[in-house]
Amino acid sequence: MSDDDRIRAFLGDVLRVNLSKGNISREELPMEAVRRFIGGRGLGAWYLYNEVGPEADPLGPANRLIFMNGPLVGTPLPACNKINLCFKSPLTSGYSYSLCGGHWGPELRFSGRTGLIIEGASREPVYLWIDDDEIELRPADRLWGRTVPETEELLRAELGGDELVQIACIGPAGEMLNRMACITAGRFREFGRGGCGAVMGSKRLKAIAVRGTGTVRFDDVAGVMGLAERLTADLLIQPKTIERRNYGTAEFLKGINDNGFLCTRNFSGTHFEEGHLLEGPRMREAIVVGDSSCFACPVACGKRSYVKTRDGRRMLLEGPEFETIALLGSNCGVSDWESLVEATLVCDEYGFDTMNAGACVSLAMECFEKGIITIRDTGGMELRFGNGAALVSLLRMMAERRGIGDILAEGVRCASERFGAPELAMHSRGQALPAYDPRGCKSMALAYATSPKGAHHMFSPTMGHEIAAGTRLSYEGKGALHMENQMEMCAVDSLGICSTVRGSFNISEQARAFGLVTGMKLDVEGLKLAAERTINLERIYNARLGFSRKDDTLPKRILCEPVPSGPSAGETVDLDRLLDEYYSQMGWNLEDGLPTRERLLTLGLLDPDAV
Amino acid sequence: MGRENSMEKKVLVFEAARCTGCRICEQWCSVHHFGMAGPSLSRITIIRDHVNQIDNGIICHQCVDAPCIASCKFDALSKDGTTGAIIVDARKCTGCRLCIRACPHGAVRMHPGEKYVLICDLCAGEPQCALHCPEKAVQYLERGKAERPYRSALVRGLAGRGKRYER
Repeated sequence: MSDDDRIRAFLGDVLRVNLSKGNISREELPMEAVRRFIGGRGLGAWYLYNEVGPEADPLGPANRLIFMNGPLVGTPLPACNKINLCFKSPLTSGYSYSLCGGHWGPELRFSGRTGLIIEGASREPVYLWIDDDEIELRPADRLWGRTVPETEELLRAELGGDELVQIACIGPAGEMLNRMACITAGRFREFGRGGCGAVMGSKRLKAIAVRGTGTVRFDDVAGVMGLAERLTADLLIQPKTIERRNYGTAEFLKGINDNGFLCTRNFSGTHFEEGHLLEGPRMREAIVVGDSSCFACPVACGKRSYVKTRDGRRMLLEGPEFETIALLGSNCGVSDWESLVEATLVCDEYGFDTMNAGACVSLAMECFEKGIITIRDTGGMELRFGNGAALVSLLRMMAERRGIGDILAEGVRCASERFGAPELAMHSRGQALPAYDPRGCKSMALAYATSPKGAHHMFSPTMGHEIAAGTRLSYEGKGALHMENQMEMCAVDSLGICSTVRGSFNISEQARAFGLVTGMKLDVEGLKLAAERTINLERIYNARLGFSRKDDTLPKRILCEPVPSGPSAGETVDLDRLLDEYYSQMGWNLEDGLPTRERLLTLGLLDPDAV
Repeated sequence: MGRENSMEKKVLVFEAARCTGCRICEQWCSVHHFGMAGPSLSRITIIRDHVNQIDNGIICHQCVDAPCIASCKFDALSKDGTTGAIIVDARKCTGCRLCIRACPHGAVRMHPGEKYVLICDLCAGEPQCALHCPEKAVQYLERGKAERPYRSALVRGLAGRGKRYER
């Protein structure tokens, strides 16, 4: 057995499904690309660059959904459950990636596959059923039009009622090409941002159900188990992990609000005076009934909540997560759990991203308060900040593309242009700003402006560091901080590790883990180099579409309007200063923000035909 | 039945109320026995009821009078003298699946690739699932104490379907 074959046996292969032709084929993992891009996000970027060209319409058959597990997924190492999805985004028209935890990625891995590539488009609605090596496309007429929970239940029943079948599906939002539609796996875990649900809808693929009874092998069994045991023991005593376990991601809210950079009323403020009502302990007390884990994760940050909705339904949900609480809550001026949970449920059931959805509602609310849209546009609704019932109603209109909701379903950028108020849309490249207002946390300005998928916090979440170091308002060294952070995120995204555990499962442990699992040698420098290569490839994917420094930007409100009050009062963002430092660190041209010839040569990306 | 020794008195106990569905137990079970990871090779199975969001464990209960042994027509199943665990003789097992139907707990499964069944062997007295469960949802307890968690769960109303989340 050659070295490559030996490593392939550890990692599995790739399944390719052409929906136009109905072809299903298996192919070997490209080992040269694995050596250069690791897996997950890195390998996904490589496939997308090579297979989805600049002319591809994001909602046309030429776009592809490239699901790629990291090489550690399915092993007993803690929280190695993230599968990455690369696609061209209908929201930003550029490169996009999205990661999903839960159990779907590992199940795909246990079916023998690292990756799954969906290409073409079906004429009729179909779903894909992967039962180990028995794989088929089946009619999905019965499922089309159904919500996410209905689809899961109907499909599971059709497949014999086996709860071990893992299902990823789209809801009506994806079918109706809502540009913030997500793909939902295991009912409550999403490939959330960038509109991948609309891409799947445009292909008339309703669901992907997977059952895998195979195994995941690794090179050094004792080494992997020893590392798993040591990392798990460490995770269980870390104060950060314990907080996360108790309150889920909602544990963030207090620190962000207290430091004055929590999105509030469409970013017109950065401190929410009712924020204490939304803090983790309040959530636990008000709605949380249990904890939920993703595959192989000892943290269990998923919070199961049980609520009675206004219309008398008893509902169970996982979440809401921090970003949801912020974008649908503080950013819409809403502080009651009843509205917040119901709003989350609408997004979950119809299958669209709570973050972009929240930004659309807050945009509409500000437009209403300023008289740009009126009661005639809203169908009689008083669409003011703080009106929780209006929040829920508007989300339903977006989900069903009714009235003003049809415009908002195009995303925050398009909608603001239709309203004639582009300056009120809080986005970068069409992707809504996450919860952290960069005026109160400067490095997040770089994360939002330079993320290849449009404004995204997890591209480089520096806020924890900036709060701890007391440097959130300073500019010094922020380019370097951002660069270091984005590399570390790219490493976990490519390996398949959840970012929650990277305090204990740090980059040197990650490099060690990769070696123990695959038998390939990799040190920290090598892992960082692969991450840098990936980030540069993502950059040149977008450059091929015409994106450059001019697109690395933020809303005028963030750049020019000083924060009115609170701990960040008076702050704006000097983005050019931040960009200059970051580009210099990356070896990119200052004029156009693109990688220099020398940098691409060093990274082995110079020949565009052979990346 | 004669007097049991102290190890024979210990059994696996699973509490759904504690389980978060991480399935770390399955991983340790399969790697411990086969040197590779895979829920289908695990003698413990965690199943998430997706509608009610309850994670429950399917495990061998180390029955005193084991129906699996009684059902076997090929003398393939026996009890370990020290631990009381069920031992499968893979050479004698024919894969007839009578024991799968006989098990009241659904804890017997076919090996996904071979012709013999998998039943919990208690890892020779150090059950890896219990050792590595971060939630203590799987415990290795003396049989006389095994019902304590169930009894408490009943009192708290957690055992009934859907009841868990009533407030």
